[in-house]
Amino acid sequence: MEIYIESLLNGLLMGSIYGLTAVGLTVIFGVLKVINFAHGSILMVGMFVAYWCVTLTGMNPYLAIPIVVPLMFYFGYFMQQIVIEPVFKAEKDVREPITVIIVTTGVWYILDNLALMFFGAEYRVAHTSVTGKLFELPGGIYLLQPKVYGFVITFACALFLFWFLKNTVMGKAIRATSLDRDAASLMGVNQYRIYRTAFGIGTAACGLAGCVLIPFYYVYPSVGLVFDIRAFIIVVLGGLGSIPGAIIGGIIIGVIEEVGAMFMPSTWTELVIYGLFLLLLFVKPAGLFGSKQDF
Amino acid sequence: MKALIDSHANKYLLAAALLIALLAPQIITSPSIMQIMILTLFFAYLTSSWNLVGGFAGVLPMGHSAFVGIGAYTSTILYLHYGLSPWFGMLAGGVLAAVVGIIIGIPTLKLRGAYFALATIAFGEGIRVLVENLDMIGPFKVNGPRGLLISLAGNSFKDYQFTSKESYYYIILALLLVVLAMTWVLMRSKIGYYLSAGGEDPEAAAALGINVPRYKVMAMAISCFFTALAGTFYAQMFLYFYPKSILGLDMSFEIAFIALIGGRGTIVGPLLGALLLRPLNEFTRIYLGGILPGMHLVIFGLILILVMIFQPRGIQEPLTRLYRRILYRIHGS
Repeated sequence: MEIYIESLLNGLLMGSIYGLTAVGLTVIFGVLKVINFAHGSILMVGMFVAYWCVTLTGMNPYLAIPIVVPLMFYFGYFMQQIVIEPVFKAEKDVREPITVIIVTTGVWYILDNLALMFFGAEYRVAHTSVTGKLFELPGGIYLLQPKVYGFVITFACALFLFWFLKNTVMGKAIRATSLDRDAASLMGVNQYRIYRTAFGIGTAACGLAGCVLIPFYYVYPSVGLVFDIRAFIIVVLGGLGSIPGAIIGGIIIGVIEEVGAMFMPSTWTELVIYGLFLLLLFVKPAGLFGSKQDF
Repeated sequence: MKALIDSHANKYLLAAALLIALLAPQIITSPSIMQIMILTLFFAYLTSSWNLVGGFAGVLPMGHSAFVGIGAYTSTILYLHYGLSPWFGMLAGGVLAAVVGIIIGIPTLKLRGAYFALATIAFGEGIRVLVENLDMIGPFKVNGPRGLLISLAGNSFKDYQFTSKESYYYIILALLLVVLAMTWVLMRSKIGYYLSAGGEDPEAAAALGINVPRYKVMAMAISCFFTALAGTFYAQMFLYFYPKSILGLDMSFEIAFIALIGGRGTIVGPLLGALLLRPLNEFTRIYLGGILPGMHLVIFGLILILVMIFQPRGIQEPLTRLYRRILYRIHGS
């Protein structure tokens, strides 16, 4: 029995971290209406930044958050400005620009392979003060400490984003732009600045996820792919553009993975997830928390 | 007058291109160059098949390798188990792929761009994971991640096996010409006009009484049929394939990107894309791969971004303009 509870809890913890990476994707989609195919690669960059911060200075991975997150925010901010914006301007009348999807894939190829050139293909593990430490729960249930911290940080981040979007001027402008770009820009919102900020928030979430993952997860140049397709599935499951949807979708996927692995080979759980995803697209394309107008 | 000059010149250009394509294997003797040429045509064929749905119907299918895999597995299984000639197995694979394309297309082609792209990725990856995890599909052996090996039959037309690379070159060239002709006919038919109308503005087309999803599904079926034929070609040329080589996300993405860089929705676009990118990809891999692993993909990514920034409709547009300008200069009008 304990083993099932343990895997359920582990799925919950890991799923929340999937959710964190999906939050970034969903914010970007919500505002720009673009699937950022480079999202996994950006997560990889975030993980490498966190890895080097921790490895070079020996600092606590959670203390690295105030360094890594702003760095990654500006990384996304300028990436949007320099690479994506020119294409976006050319296609601004299109509701769902396709060319931009291609550009983000170009960024994916470049980032992944630059990482390969600079860091090599080997798997790296950061040795931090929390790596490998366990919490013992009554009944002989063990949970990895960094996963628990990740869970807490994810929820704090989601709550913060919620507050930010609801109560700040910038947040309101972002929501207005995601509802109706033209109306928002008529109200005096600089839409391109909003796009950059939204993209920055999306990449900052990757930076945060990097800090959270680095104590217990390997980092290597194509690690993004592991999270990429999961994040796509999660955001569609939760409804593209919805932050609670991303977190809950992430937890659902995480739980399916961990609990499913008790009953079948772990590669089969992947198949269950793809099947579930396709089924959902046919039954309820807007996802659990999506709005009808989005699909 | 302009149109007349154009159509005459186009005829000459077409004839010249065809002549070059037909004579090339007689002049080029290096087997490695020949291999690159075959793969270039192979991708030109795949992208042109993709273009039937990705170009005209205004959607972005990102899981076409699934159909390449269906073609390869069907013809190979029929050949290994029943001794059926791959020439017939190829058609069987094509029909099966078309049926799967219809089944997957009916619900997904109603979805908007982003959802459709994601759905096709999930479908393609789902097929790959499925095949990688199965040793048998029903009574047929697929060998999981180890893939299938086709027994050597020597130089035999019936078995779709040839000792010379030339034969494969001419087969893929013929297939390419067929799919290009098919595209040409389709573009000028009622279906083609409905498709491009639906691709550009689905609401307006539906308001005119066009059943947009039905034509999209038709285009999908045709596209999947042709895509699957390439699977058999791949299997018979290499005589060995495994899920990662033929069902992977890489191939799906490469098919879509070559079409987009060349210019989707035109006949020459995918062709130009493949002619430019494939050799470039091969040569950069050969010359840079040893020194800087991954460099050739960085270059590929850069090209992707630059083309999309400066020529979002693909490289066919400036090239067609250049071609026209040269024509009028020659004719002095």
